[in-house]
Amino acid sequence: MAKSLMIVDDSATMRKIIMRTVRMSGLEFDRTEEAGNGKEALDKLQGDPVDIVLCDINMPEMSGSEMVKEARKLDCCKETKIVMVSTESGQDMIDGLMADGANGYITKPFTPEKFQEKLTPLMN
Amino acid sequence: MLDQLTLSDVVIDAAREVFETMIFMDIETPSDAQPAVTGQAITGSIHFKSKSDSDLVIDGKSMLGSITFKGMLEGCLTISVGQSCAECIAKNMLGMEPDEPLAINDVCDAIGEVSNMVMGSIKTRIQDIYTDIEVSIPSVVTGCEMHNSLGENVSKVVASAWLDEQEAIEFTFLYREAAS
Repeated sequence: MAKSLMIVDDSATMRKIIMRTVRMSGLEFDRTEEAGNGKEALDKLQGDPVDIVLCDINMPEMSGSEMVKEARKLDCCKETKIVMVSTESGQDMIDGLMADGANGYITKPFTPEKFQEKLTPLMN
Repeated sequence: MLDQLTLSDVVIDAAREVFETMIFMDIETPSDAQPAVTGQAITGSIHFKSKSDSDLVIDGKSMLGSITFKGMLEGCLTISVGQSCAECIAKNMLGMEPDEPLAINDVCDAIGEVSNMVMGSIKTRIQDIYTDIEVSIPSVVTGCEMHNSLGENVSKVVASAWLDEQEAIEFTFLYREAAS
């Protein structure tokens, strides 16, 4: 069954790179959305939720970690899987994000294989 | 505490990981480079350049991506490339054809992301020693003959390399250990 995806990153270039890498991974989404920060993502999710969110951490206005906490308070995002995509790799920080409600973590630099490995279990 | 020779390897290894994984370009350091360390134990510099690599310079208009960090270790990583090389990096990251047009904002964005990823990879490699490093959002400037500095008592590692055996790229890691 086709799924929907949202990419949240303040860099338009990185959003394109993530989109390209997702395509290269062979994963298929029937709808893709983009947002430039956590607040914009939450606004869009409340209007039209998606199945999977790929989210950067360090962003202006609302960070990825704040977005995860806020998303988990919303009924519309209860089933949404949120996977963080960041250069940050400290285990304490990753553990904190998972405790706040993130469903996975992908470290930059990434490969299509990494997206496939992390996202496939969340799509079934 | 890391010494400068180790840190130079860390910078190049981090850059190599990013460029090979996401930009599909090889980084080659001068094979016969002999590092020259100057200054005191904490304040010094390493330049990986050799006589046979006199062509390994960045001429004309260039781009400088920089990202600062603070914590037990504080300083700045900069990546310097020529304008055409920067465009090549951006097009490779985005999967574009060489002759496709690309806006300057996209090139800046790409070089900023490269700086961010290389710094992230460096942080991962040294976080067992420096556990509390916080990284800023990257910035990118364009110009000619650009240099960076970070005041006094700063150590400096400069690693110059070839990208795909064609374009020169320079990584500069300025740092000092924070007073305990």
